[in-house]
Amino acid sequence: MRYVKWSFWAIVTISVFAFLHYTLPQHDIVRITDTYEKRIDFGDNSIFWASPDTGNATGATNRDVFFIQTIRPNGKPMVYRNEDTGWGWPPYFKLDSSNLQTEAADLKSTKENPQWVSVTHYGWRNEFLSIYPNAVAVKPVDGPDVRIIPWVNIVILTILAVLVLMARRMWLQFRERTIDPFLEDMDDASDSARDRARGFWRKIRTWLTSWRGKPRN
Amino acid sequence: MIFALIRLVMVSLVLSSVVYVLLSIYSRSVRREKLEDEWDQEVKTGDRDAYIEKGMEEYQHSLRRKLIVLVYIVPMVVVLVLLYVINFV
Repeated sequence: MRYVKWSFWAIVTISVFAFLHYTLPQHDIVRITDTYEKRIDFGDNSIFWASPDTGNATGATNRDVFFIQTIRPNGKPMVYRNEDTGWGWPPYFKLDSSNLQTEAADLKSTKENPQWVSVTHYGWRNEFLSIYPNAVAVKPVDGPDVRIIPWVNIVILTILAVLVLMARRMWLQFRERTIDPFLEDMDDASDSARDRARGFWRKIRTWLTSWRGKPRN
Repeated sequence: MIFALIRLVMVSLVLSSVVYVLLSIYSRSVRREKLEDEWDQEVKTGDRDAYIEKGMEEYQHSLRRKLIVLVYIVPMVVVLVLLYVINFV
């Protein structure tokens, strides 16, 4: 039973962490080598793709998606998709994928003369599922070693922690003021019912005794 | 687009309303508990129930209760700020 409990909490923790890791924004310092667009036929990986540009038809089984090809400072490649999130999840309200693609194309550079760029993105790159992180913003930076403080994540995680503590306090208050008194009432009620029942049987017993034949003399 | 936007508005309205109701109940409960403690520890004279009811009546008109409306306003402001920062800065 203890292992079941541990496994349960491990799964919950990992799920929450994975969800936040996927959804919250992260920054990569990269060099943009090229941009392209490709038709994607969504399949098993469809939940890892966002929505068509706002205003376009929805529900199509395939569409063209912008991509940004980059090289990381360690020389390894990273490819981002560049999709609107529109009014859906995750709540980035990104509507400007075409503008972002233009900015990214403008920041292209060569290995000999690199222009380092900070790409804000969410999501994961996974070769097995053919999924790509979604770029949200690009910003030129001085070099590959620039230190970026993730203020947005600090704020969001702090707010989340406050909300969790608040929910806990609300629940405790509800338990203290509503559930516990109710249970006590139930207890009291069942106690007095028992007393009453006891009184009832005692009365019957007395009544029965009263019928017993008195010793005749 | 209109459909997605309407869906967003409806879902956030429902969620905000749930939070609003829960927060109202919590806030009332905390205030009532505070009034009870006040009477038990400091006032101790007069009718306890009347004292609490008077306090709750004052709470009905308090700023604290009205501030719970922020549950609707803050997310809307956040969305507008996000829209501007993500797309137009």
